[in-house]
Amino acid sequence: MVAFAYAGFYHVFDDVIVGGDSMAWWFWPLFMFVFTLLIGIISPVSGVGGGVLFVPLSTIITPFNIDFIRGAGLVMAVTSALSSVPYLIRKGLANIRIFAIIAPVMVITSVVGGWVGLWVTNAYPNGKYLIKVLLGAIILLVFFIMVSSKRVEFPEVKEEDRDSLSKKLNIWGEYYEPDLDAIIEYTTKNTPIAIVTFAVIGFVAGMFGLGAGWANVPVLNMLMGVPIKVATATSMLIITANAPAIGIYLTKGAILPLIVVPSILGITIGARIGAKVAEIIKPKFVRWLVLAILFIAGVLNIIKGLQGMHVIPPILPGV
Amino acid sequence: MAVVVEKEKEELGTELKEVIVEPMNYVFGKIMEILTIIGLIAMFVPGIIYIVTGKGYLSRDVVVKYWGLKASAFWKKVMGIKVFGYSWFLSHLTATDCLSIFGVCILAVTPLISLIGAEVKADKKYKVLIGILIIEFLFAIFRPILMGH
Repeated sequence: MVAFAYAGFYHVFDDVIVGGDSMAWWFWPLFMFVFTLLIGIISPVSGVGGGVLFVPLSTIITPFNIDFIRGAGLVMAVTSALSSVPYLIRKGLANIRIFAIIAPVMVITSVVGGWVGLWVTNAYPNGKYLIKVLLGAIILLVFFIMVSSKRVEFPEVKEEDRDSLSKKLNIWGEYYEPDLDAIIEYTTKNTPIAIVTFAVIGFVAGMFGLGAGWANVPVLNMLMGVPIKVATATSMLIITANAPAIGIYLTKGAILPLIVVPSILGITIGARIGAKVAEIIKPKFVRWLVLAILFIAGVLNIIKGLQGMHVIPPILPGV
Repeated sequence: MAVVVEKEKEELGTELKEVIVEPMNYVFGKIMEILTIIGLIAMFVPGIIYIVTGKGYLSRDVVVKYWGLKASAFWKKVMGIKVFGYSWFLSHLTATDCLSIFGVCILAVTPLISLIGAEVKADKKYKVLIGILIIEFLFAIFRPILMGH
């Protein structure tokens, strides 16, 4: 059904999507601006990160090579994080102690991920399609994590629950919780397991140019026992550890201002509008709508990848 | 427990709530805030000029033609070169597109410079952890220049 709907969409917009040489130069930059503006608006409303929507949808809709899309996706994820982290630090929500423990591992794996991703597309004739299949699989994984993951507002971490690393490094923090009108103090547990988990998350984020909030938040909240607001804020701080992976894309010439500038501009403006819209409309409906889009994007990426590798017969146009 | 030098105050009614923000957190956030603004301006202003005028190191119209190719093939087709390292845009900073990419570069090094600031204010254990992180960031950024690929 998804394939059928996509084929219909593709037929209607055939001239626009396949336009190539005949398209006016301004169409795709303008499209990226509007597209990321919409992502920026629905992202705060739905709770689904902008980077996670941008990469899979761009690989389906736009004519750009996946190298340039991942480069733009990574710059977008890092820029969004850089813009919000200073405010979150001032509020006591983003915790540099947690970051300093996780980031040394994540920097290495995100750089390796970025390098592997570009190597696969460039070294193998079918690399581009293999990346699409893997991206689709990751997106479906994100979908299932977002649908099934639970959140605990204020997880309790008792002194006996704390691991030795958490005690030795004195991981703690506090923030003001207006709902309770109180200062909330917190600490962590399961730190060694969390470090290993973050290593895997870093690799995936670097390889596909995805933001990693979808994975960071559940690990910080459910595994490490950090309050949900701190988990969300510290996740933004952790995403900044992906910044060196931008260097990988820069050194390969995979950052094009014609794609990056309108995309960052769009998401920056969109996020500000989205924050206001979130106060008005029902987030539950939008969240499910976005999750449905994410699911479809995952399926389409897998189909397009398998089709390109000639594993399955042609179902979708545009490969 | 860390030394308290900065306090975030949240006023609720007549009560005053104080949240401790550690010095290393504060310095990290402040540097990040300033550099992000500089990076965004450096990326947007020349980037928009490039998009509108179409004149830069890479001709806008040629980029549009070949952006469907993978990065290595794109550069071979557009400029006839194999790109590696940072010299391809650092040596053409008079071109608006390269200047915009320099803005991206500032954003990419923003966490590194923020960490260097935080390192000064961190306690012993965190000085080591942040020090490792700084070395990793430096290696990741300068690896292409050091190793030539």
